[in-house]
Amino acid sequence: MTDGPLIVQSDKTLLLDIDHPLSTECRRAIAPFAELERSPEHIHTYRLTSLGLWNARAAGHDAEQVIDTLLKYSRYAVPHSILVDIAETMSRYGRLRLEANPIHGLVLITTDTAVLEEVIRAKKIAPLLGNRIDPETIAVHPSQRGAIKQALLRLGWPAEDFAGYVDGQHHEIELVQNGWSVRPYQSLAAEGFWHGGSGVVVLPCGAGKTIVGAVAMAHAKATTLILVTNTIAARQWREELLLRTTLNEDEIGEYSGSKKEIRAVTIATYQVMTKKKNGVYAHLDLFDTHDWGLIIYDEVHLLPAPIFRFTADIQSRRRLGLTATLVREDGLEGEVFSLIGPKRYDVPWKEIEAQGYIAPAECVEVRVTLTDAERMTYATAEPENRYRLCATTATKRKIVEALTQIHAEDQVLVIGQYIDQLDELSEVLGVPLIKGDTPIKERERLFKLFRSGEIKCLVVSKVANFSIDLPEATIAIQVSGAFGSRQEEAQRLGRILRPKSDGRTARFYSLVSRDTIDQDFAQNRQRFLAEQGYSYRIIDADDVAQGKL
Amino acid sequence: METRSFADYLRGLNDESLAALFALRPDLISPVPSDMSSLAIRTNSAPSLARAVDGLNEWQFQVLEACIAINEPMTEKEIIEVTDSSAKFVIPHLMSLALLYTSRDGIRIPQTLRDVLGTEPAGLGPVSMAKLSMKKLEEAPAAAKKILEQLTWGPPRGSVGDIRNPGPGIAWLLKENFLVPLDQRCVVLPRNVAIHLRGGKIHKNPQPNPPILNGKAVKQNVVDRAAIANIATVLRWCEEILNFWSEEPPSALRAGGLGVRDLKSAAEHLGVDENCAAFVSELVYLRGLVVIDADDRVLPTHAFDLWLTQSAEARWRGIASLWLATSRVSGLVGRAESKHISALGPELDRVNAASTRRLVLELLSASREISPDVVSFSALVKWRAPSRRSPGLQPDLVKWTLRESEWLGITGQGAISKYGLAFYKGEEAIGVDLDLPKSINHILIQSDNTAIAPGRLEIELARTLDSIADIESRGGATVYRFSETSLRRGLDHGKTGEEIREFLRKTSKTPIPQPLDYLISDVSKRHGRIRVGNTSAYIRCEDQNILTQILNDKRMETLPLRRIAPEVLVCDMDARDIIALLRTAGYLPAAESTTGVLLLGPRLNRAKSKPRPPRVIGELEAPSDETLAAALRSIRVGEKSSSKQSALREIAANALGAIPRTTANETLDLLNKFIAEACTLSIGYADNNGSATHRIVDPLSISAGSLIARDHATGEVQSFRIPRITGVAPL
Repeated sequence: MTDGPLIVQSDKTLLLDIDHPLSTECRRAIAPFAELERSPEHIHTYRLTSLGLWNARAAGHDAEQVIDTLLKYSRYAVPHSILVDIAETMSRYGRLRLEANPIHGLVLITTDTAVLEEVIRAKKIAPLLGNRIDPETIAVHPSQRGAIKQALLRLGWPAEDFAGYVDGQHHEIELVQNGWSVRPYQSLAAEGFWHGGSGVVVLPCGAGKTIVGAVAMAHAKATTLILVTNTIAARQWREELLLRTTLNEDEIGEYSGSKKEIRAVTIATYQVMTKKKNGVYAHLDLFDTHDWGLIIYDEVHLLPAPIFRFTADIQSRRRLGLTATLVREDGLEGEVFSLIGPKRYDVPWKEIEAQGYIAPAECVEVRVTLTDAERMTYATAEPENRYRLCATTATKRKIVEALTQIHAEDQVLVIGQYIDQLDELSEVLGVPLIKGDTPIKERERLFKLFRSGEIKCLVVSKVANFSIDLPEATIAIQVSGAFGSRQEEAQRLGRILRPKSDGRTARFYSLVSRDTIDQDFAQNRQRFLAEQGYSYRIIDADDVAQGKL
Repeated sequence: METRSFADYLRGLNDESLAALFALRPDLISPVPSDMSSLAIRTNSAPSLARAVDGLNEWQFQVLEACIAINEPMTEKEIIEVTDSSAKFVIPHLMSLALLYTSRDGIRIPQTLRDVLGTEPAGLGPVSMAKLSMKKLEEAPAAAKKILEQLTWGPPRGSVGDIRNPGPGIAWLLKENFLVPLDQRCVVLPRNVAIHLRGGKIHKNPQPNPPILNGKAVKQNVVDRAAIANIATVLRWCEEILNFWSEEPPSALRAGGLGVRDLKSAAEHLGVDENCAAFVSELVYLRGLVVIDADDRVLPTHAFDLWLTQSAEARWRGIASLWLATSRVSGLVGRAESKHISALGPELDRVNAASTRRLVLELLSASREISPDVVSFSALVKWRAPSRRSPGLQPDLVKWTLRESEWLGITGQGAISKYGLAFYKGEEAIGVDLDLPKSINHILIQSDNTAIAPGRLEIELARTLDSIADIESRGGATVYRFSETSLRRGLDHGKTGEEIREFLRKTSKTPIPQPLDYLISDVSKRHGRIRVGNTSAYIRCEDQNILTQILNDKRMETLPLRRIAPEVLVCDMDARDIIALLRTAGYLPAAESTTGVLLLGPRLNRAKSKPRPPRVIGELEAPSDETLAAALRSIRVGEKSSSKQSALREIAANALGAIPRTTANETLDLLNKFIAEACTLSIGYADNNGSATHRIVDPLSISAGSLIARDHATGEVQSFRIPRITGVAPL
């Protein structure tokens, strides 16, 4: 019995006591095979999954190392069944391999013919296979490389992929580190990705994921396709790359609704990629028109379904996914991992905050009490209208007014879901509004004014949920949201996490109507951040009115 | 005479030897025999001898077999000659067991032992009295040699087609008396010939030494660590399965025991396979922590609550010692070949289970720091306890015992742990409590509304926490999650919000995060705002004064009235009675229907049951022509058949006078013949009690030892077992 920082639970979760002196060392030791699930203030929860253990195998760790690590750091004796299970799971990896055969092309090879016999009989796998070459080898249709990997993973016999990646067309890209340098975690993340071949890097909002992309590009030194959520984000990527790398303006193309440039580095939006013309995705060819050496998916948690399907076909190209919040409300996290690649790097938000790379933030839930009239309207409303009703009450408007007055000196973002509510707020507060039908030019102008400090306050709709870089914003006021979406809440907080020049603490207000469904949704929304260690403080709307914060 | 000399031998033993005998065969003194001769009879009785023989290991048994195979009286030298020199170490043991004894003329065997070991010890036939010249064997023709080869190592009997017409090899052997005919079709190899052919030995493979145990070497500290984890786990399993059943009690099967589906869901709940779940269920069942209730529900008992308060060591020792002693074998549950056997069911007892477990533990404790492989371990167990009476189950029992020892933590990673050793030796303190992590009395609450108990919580704390939070993850630590539902449950159990907060403040090492604090206030504020209850009648009145008057009215004191609102009184009595009472007291109440409509008009008393008028019995209607015709037809047919029956029976009785009697062979011949001729037969047929009845049948066919025939008495096709047909005669 040691007095280690780790508790191994029988449901295969690992609890890490972060107040323990060995916790940092232990965290590093278990990170390669255990997935971080929650990281609140005292005990972090990791989970042992088959996928995680197989990734560890792929990265060169064997079962013995994993078991040794657990035994070394475990506070209590580790249940025997878990050790057996780890050894068994890890031994399944690598019995099947995908290789490029000079004669037969892509082949599936096994060291254990019984396993091969089992998988080729599986209904989902048979159609992906070609001819049997010898008892240990069977041909695979090259286009099905992604599909077969996914199917084998589901069967529990993951294939080790030795077929390699195409290098893509060479293009010289270097980092230009003048006056800034790559942060340690950014280079760790890029290294992790590069050695793994493909995969997803998870970093908090504002922690500089673009730089990770740039470092990866400098590794690849090849033509790169970058997929982003919208045009604004595309322009931000372009500016960052111009600033951080040797790339010049002519080498970076924008492929969006307005422009269709294909250059050595092309930045495309998901929107244009998934636009249908005569019932077909006209722009998906972009993946094939060029010999890309690297494909970067920004905000990979938003990846639209058609791109998923297409990604399965381009398994021979290196793929990098970037995200802050890999929680998909549609539950497709697993798909992201099997198509883009496994999680290569993940770090608790609070750790980055402690290193000073993102601004410390305080989350405040403001409880608004509805007036009696509002309560009555709410009580008699149809269930489908209730959320909208309680999220957009007039009482909230007054609180927003009070808050903006208190923070008159700060850069404030007011974020909401319902356009009429935002229209009203924009009018009452006398500040500009950015919403879906605001032209790109106007958006860029407003953001620029906001960045320079000429505008102190902006009302924004969900168009500003992601990828909008507003370094000086310190206050965000959320008035309504997309029901219980956890990642939206986190992304909105992310808007104010860029470190401030004076090291100020950012503050995130979430306005919630008391005793309504708004409160239930808020609880769900806050879960992701709470699990990242952000503790919400609850205050009453009356306190705000009296200026008490 | 034989018995008397055995009794004399016993009389001649000194106290020390007798004490040794009783220690080895405790059944001899329960109850204590009255004198030496009755002791001799008991010692020489088949059950006691069989028990003593069961305790022998393979080599001791082989020596004993050899003693039986050679002639009495014998000498040690003779025994060693037919076995091995190491037999001389075994003979004293057999003596002290009184399976051999010395008389004046040499070593003898208690007489009944021959019956216990069977007529053919070590596959040897009877001794031939004929004069044999063993030299002649070498001249045997090839065919004879082949036969001898087959019979040499037993079984000694062989069957031949017909003894009167044997093949050349057998003919030669019979002629030379190397084979003895037993009956028409059977020959036997005499013992003296077989021993000669066996080269003067009795056994083909004498096994004076136990087989070597193979296994993996493991360090004792590793073993102990694994074992303590197993102990913690098995105790947790017991607790969890009982908590699970207390929430959702499964129903026992009609045949007793736990259904497959319930076992499966218990296994899922524990996160183990079904074998293990069956094992855990049996453990708690043995310990009396669970019972199958009168209404067939499987429910934890009060003993469980007491059990939880015991120390871990006491809890573990309790279940482990019951496991060691029980004859119930949980490994039998869920096997493909015995689907009907269920956990907690009636069919789990097996004879050798307890002794096998004890032996397994003995062997494990003899080889410390070794995790034995199952095959060599089974071989060793087989050598130690050849288990001749139920040999089929032993390998499985060994396998299961090893598996269960691991689950129990008697072993860790396959080798015996210090706890297992101390437990096996029956030591006072096992050391479980010392090595198990101490119970803790604090939790850590985090801002994502989870609380973590980083160890085993003290039982009282765990119970309180259970009632206000849901368990999310179990193991060395427990992760709880607070939610609206879980807090509501706590409030339903009678805690107030303030109590919950106070409890958390006291128990948590970290301050209560504000969101949780708010959650508790919110839930407790809303809890119980809506009240629901049962009542059978109400009194309402818009004038509150009247209700106050009723409440204070002396005449209404008999009514249990309660005011739930200014204008409403409720009462647990029938509305009609209340109305009557109010009327007599001078009030003027009116009745209301459930929808609030005033019930006016005279009250009519009506029964609530459905109308059930009596049956009308009238005159019969005149039947139609069709009915008449059909009735007539049916009567005629019946008459015809019954007159034919009685005619046939009469003929049969006249012709034969009695039930026919034929020999078995004749019966079959006759049946075959009459089936071909399709002739009605009279047969005698024995019923279950053996008395023969007379049947008249139309034979149809013979199949699988039965005659298929139409019985005239019933008119149905029936099958008659041929051996029961006492005779056949045609009609």
